[in-house]
Amino acid sequence: MEKQSAFNIHPMDQFIIDPILTGDSLEWYSFTNQALWMLISLVSISFVFIYGSRKHQLVPGRLQSIAELMYFFIRDMIIDIAGQEGLRYFPYIFTLFILILFGNVLGLLPYSFTYTSHIAVTGFLALSVFIAVTIIGFVKNGIGFLSLFWISSAPLALRPILLIIEVISYFVRPVSHSIRLAGNMMAGHAVIKVFAGFAGALGLGAIAPIFAITAVYGLEMLVVVIQAYVFTILTCVYLNDALHPGH
Amino acid sequence: MASNSDNSAVGMPQLDFSTFPNQIFWLVVFCVVLFAIVKFFIIPRMEDIFANRRKIIDGNIAKAEEIRLRVSEIEKQIEEELQKAKSQCDEIMNASGNNIKEQMALALEDSKIATTQLINEAEGRLKELRDGSEAAIEKISEELASVIISKISRGK
Repeated sequence: MEKQSAFNIHPMDQFIIDPILTGDSLEWYSFTNQALWMLISLVSISFVFIYGSRKHQLVPGRLQSIAELMYFFIRDMIIDIAGQEGLRYFPYIFTLFILILFGNVLGLLPYSFTYTSHIAVTGFLALSVFIAVTIIGFVKNGIGFLSLFWISSAPLALRPILLIIEVISYFVRPVSHSIRLAGNMMAGHAVIKVFAGFAGALGLGAIAPIFAITAVYGLEMLVVVIQAYVFTILTCVYLNDALHPGH
Repeated sequence: MASNSDNSAVGMPQLDFSTFPNQIFWLVVFCVVLFAIVKFFIIPRMEDIFANRRKIIDGNIAKAEEIRLRVSEIEKQIEEELQKAKSQCDEIMNASGNNIKEQMALALEDSKIATTQLINEAEGRLKELRDGSEAAIEKISEELASVIISKISRGK
């Protein structure tokens, strides 16, 4: 491949789903690099939350502090946004949060695979949230859930127009929800890869792209956490809409 | 479209729909296992830690409240003791004041008696002196009378 061009940059290669146990054929059950990193994420989560707080310390140690911080952060967020009733759905939202957070953070390790950069994964999660929230809305409020689209505080003449806008924005939610996360993850990793390709081609001048990589990497550290937070807080907002469609 | 053969991506691997069933299968497995871990390990553990902490904090607050009550009780006791001591002090002061007054009255009585005695004595002596002087005046006037008489009779 070296002979093709001086710049041997393949920024998208890192996202290829690769069956690592069964050779080249990719069946629906093949164990892939993506599944491997999901497994690593599972182990990391268990390490932080179960091993880290195994002593049930009253005054938490380092790992237990991290675990408690995340746990109560999400807990308080649900109470703040969706109210006390939202706490019923805490296990689901917390699962979602640590799944995305660990996927994002582990994805920053060199040679790792970022499963949250795949639209299939984020799309599945966003659709699950969308369907679950819609079902909760109808189960909790019956047909009254539709008042979410009928803005009673707006002038009567505007309401039909707002109805259309609200319905469209409601159905766009899973799309924006999933693309926001996957797009952010993909873009950051691709940018780092592109700069890394420059560094490989420039020889001694590589100092500039390496500096750029460091800067982008720092930015990405911020982005991965913020995107996990954004995904979770939007889930809470949607849940709140389902629980209290009146406002 | 799958690009595993030459190990280089054509376009976005994210849009390679042939990998979707595989991705979603593993994601579902992952989600279910993770949810089980959250539900059966993480949440009970965190709630247990939190409840323990709450219990100890509440216990400490109750203990502090108890100590506060005891302190206020002790303060009340101190106040009472102080009151008692004050009234005792007042009593003692009153008693000693009365005592002093009594003694002063007694002393006054004594001195009165002594002065009346002295006055009487002085009066006695004054009387004596007056009596003495009366006699002397009589004698002098008698002498004076006899002198005057002799002078008058001689002048005749």
